[in-house]
Amino acid sequence: MTEKSRMNDMSQQSNPSRPVNRLALRVLVPALLLVAVFGVAITYFPKNATGRSPLTSAVDPGPRGGAPGAGGFLTGLSSNEKQILPTITTEFNRAHDVVVTSPVDGGLGPRFNSNSCVSCHQYPAAGGSSPVSNPLFSVYQQRGASNIMPSFITTSGPILEARFIHQSDGVTPDGNIHQLFTISGRSDATGCSISQPDFTTAQLTGNLALRQPTPMYGSGLMEIIKNIDIVNNMNANLALKQSLGIAGHPNYSGNDGSIQRFGWKAQFRAVLTVASAQLNTEMGVTNEMFPTELDQTPGCVINPLPETVTNFTPGILTENFPGDAERDMLYATWLLGPKGVAPTPSTTNGQTQFNNIGCVLCHTTSFTTPAGSRPALTNQTITLYSDFLVHHMGPGLADGIAQGGAGPDEFRTAPLWGIGQRLFFMHDGRTKDLVQAIEDHYSLGNGTYGNSEANSVITNFNALSTSNQQDLLNFLRSL
Amino acid sequence: MAQPAFPAKRYSKNTTLVIGTMLAGLALVSTVALTSLSASSIRGASSAIDPGPRPLPAAAGAFYTTLTPNQNAVTSRLTTVMTEVNQVTGGQQKTVGLGPGFNSNSCTSCHAYPANGGTSPPVNPLFAIFNLFGGTNTMPFFITTNGPVVVARFIHQADGVTPDGGVHDMFTISNRTDAPGCTGLVQPDFSGEAAKGNLINRLTTPTYGEGLVELVQESDIVANLAANSSLKQTLGITGHPNYSGDDGGINRFGWKAQIRSLVYFSGEAYNVEEGNSNEMFPNERDESVPSCLPPFPVGSTFHTKGVPDDRVDTGEAPKKPVNFSGDLERFGLFTRFLAPPTPVAPTPSTTNGQVQFNNVGCVLCHQTSFTTPKSSIAALSQQTATLYSDLAVHHMGPLLADGIMQGQAGPDEFRTAPLWGIGQRLFFMHDGRTSDIVQAIQDHFSLGNSQYPASEANGVVNNFNALSPTNQQDLINFLRSL
Repeated sequence: MTEKSRMNDMSQQSNPSRPVNRLALRVLVPALLLVAVFGVAITYFPKNATGRSPLTSAVDPGPRGGAPGAGGFLTGLSSNEKQILPTITTEFNRAHDVVVTSPVDGGLGPRFNSNSCVSCHQYPAAGGSSPVSNPLFSVYQQRGASNIMPSFITTSGPILEARFIHQSDGVTPDGNIHQLFTISGRSDATGCSISQPDFTTAQLTGNLALRQPTPMYGSGLMEIIKNIDIVNNMNANLALKQSLGIAGHPNYSGNDGSIQRFGWKAQFRAVLTVASAQLNTEMGVTNEMFPTELDQTPGCVINPLPETVTNFTPGILTENFPGDAERDMLYATWLLGPKGVAPTPSTTNGQTQFNNIGCVLCHTTSFTTPAGSRPALTNQTITLYSDFLVHHMGPGLADGIAQGGAGPDEFRTAPLWGIGQRLFFMHDGRTKDLVQAIEDHYSLGNGTYGNSEANSVITNFNALSTSNQQDLLNFLRSL
Repeated sequence: MAQPAFPAKRYSKNTTLVIGTMLAGLALVSTVALTSLSASSIRGASSAIDPGPRPLPAAAGAFYTTLTPNQNAVTSRLTTVMTEVNQVTGGQQKTVGLGPGFNSNSCTSCHAYPANGGTSPPVNPLFAIFNLFGGTNTMPFFITTNGPVVVARFIHQADGVTPDGGVHDMFTISNRTDAPGCTGLVQPDFSGEAAKGNLINRLTTPTYGEGLVELVQESDIVANLAANSSLKQTLGITGHPNYSGDDGGINRFGWKAQIRSLVYFSGEAYNVEEGNSNEMFPNERDESVPSCLPPFPVGSTFHTKGVPDDRVDTGEAPKKPVNFSGDLERFGLFTRFLAPPTPVAPTPSTTNGQVQFNNVGCVLCHQTSFTTPKSSIAALSQQTATLYSDLAVHHMGPLLADGIMQGQAGPDEFRTAPLWGIGQRLFFMHDGRTSDIVQAIQDHFSLGNSQYPASEANGVVNNFNALSPTNQQDLINFLRSL
């Protein structure tokens, strides 16, 4: 399955209805499970481009309407902390142009994916993920930029960043982000002439891996969860996990030996690292942690480096403050975790099913933060539904990219809080249908990768009654 | 640590030279240098003698004279935070958060010589630190009163197979009076690990001029690596960058070029060396003993309320209301504002020494200089950094290999150590194995074995050993002039 076919298929799935006859599938389920029991490693169902088709008649109720269940800052911030909410909000929302006119402005490019944090971290509220209407179409040709929109970015599709699996020799691992756009042609970047990467060829040769933005709500709570709690949770219920084929391990930081926890492969340790890396890799804004430009072609390094830097201008607090990276970090660390809706009999039973069939063995219900130096973050139970571990997810999801201790077929258990209002699922946003997303966790091994660790749990899900399946979906959409 | 055994083949080849030139060398240098002869274990195939570190005053440690008034206005705060002595609790507002594990209690205790920001001083500072406040630590065998400050890493985890590579802190805060209630933390078994061949050590790296190093463009590093390729090939020199997985930039700090930038470096060192969790590494490293984690039950005395110990300063107690970033960013700024070491004026000997340094091929890795691009910090803008490093990692053979991989730096690869400031350096090589710069040159030579290929420096070290005694001595003098 190529990324191209996957994405084409996805773009056609603009509503949650699925292209197969669910009644026929219900009849097929027992026979298919029998096949699975006998371990016949065949592709037992005609695969479409998104992987296994749903073996259920339950229906994704779709993203929850109403007020956003996320966004906003932690209650319990001190008055001093509250003083700086305006400046960090301004920074998070600021659209960057190329030319720097103050220590907290400009810096876009030479290569970029978008021009503000909030453009990608937008839905259902600032700090989130992809919105309904893709914002990149209003960004990519601003100020006369001569960019072509890559085919995998569509008006109603998810925002995606592109990584290449291998370098141009086809052998050496790459894995880095290749920004979609350049500043060439922009009126504020005269003298810079560089080309966009050849995404078409990368797609055709199977060298393209796509990832959608991860929501940032509750990150400040996630980053201080104790490592020891993550490890203890990993070691709980071992026999049950083993019987289901579930393993999982942390992606340890090579720097301090602690557990990384942000990004699709848990490749980042802390919010500050994420904020700094993304300033540079998504917008091209060099900063005190990543101080050099992504592309150093003469004529394209337009501003003095780094482009955002500690502001030494004396004065009030909001001026005499660190650079954008720290502001973005504070913005994200002070965002509340998403709030679900009140339970109903259906969602209550759905959570029971979620636990019974084993979803919860990876999507761990909650962790509690330790004493924090900021009271707002102290001793908070966060109901995030993730174990912070990476797991083998089989050839169907593998993206071929290793990051630290996370292998090419491994992904972090995505936190499910806020999923009730999520529009796109899986690391590459391949589906908008929550039922399909569950089924996408299933993947038989091949010559390159082993089975998905989720296979047994998905089989359990498919064996549930339709009513229980529906309750489970309703539970997820209540989060 | 493996004794740098001298390769027999090469020794025999140079025996005559050694004996012949030893006398000439002795005749050339002052008697002061004789002491370094007895101090060093095995002499290289050279009669040159290390004149020893240039005496104080320090030719490093000053801030740039070109800082703006606003930047200058914060330098005293930066110095304060670099020099402040951390405790677990108590003390002053900004000086808490030490432990549970630690190697030392302030930045400048290790980054000490020849001035703040540097590296190991003559007298090891750890003896004055390890049992402060009633601590009950045992000093590891590899820390000696006149030896280098080194950290300990283990090659493998306890199973003997899984790679480790992490820093294992030497000391704990157990039983300290400023850590009320904390007992039960155990120091690692360094002797046991050493007996298993699982212990490696690394020396503190100096930080002078690193603001310039941080800004060197990747395109310049790559272009320099590609230059003189046929000459490098002839000598067996390759080398490659240690790329960052975060932004695809080139990592450039640390013995294996494992760290991307100074803020990153500061965040890691603060947590790993002092146990101060911070906004880049927000958890305590050892969470095994709850009574040794913040907050400590100390009532009104200063203490961190929890993790991270250090954070962007918004003015609440126990932090001073200075409204100016966290320690992490301050450390980053301190090092960014530190000017490079100043070499002494050239003499005929050092001038010839630099010619020899270039001719024998040292310069092929110890690249003389890079120029920074335009910078938003004027003092760092378009400056020539005469650092003598290519900021790449190279295979250094079995005798230097420490068995630890970091990013794209393999177990036998090390970053070309910048040589600026080496004139006043006391200890050499990643583990501080020698104080003798001649020995340090010879330590670059190592034949390959079944595990690791030969050192990329072998051809160049052979060239050095083939130089006339005078030229060798001039080269050494050149290095001690930096």
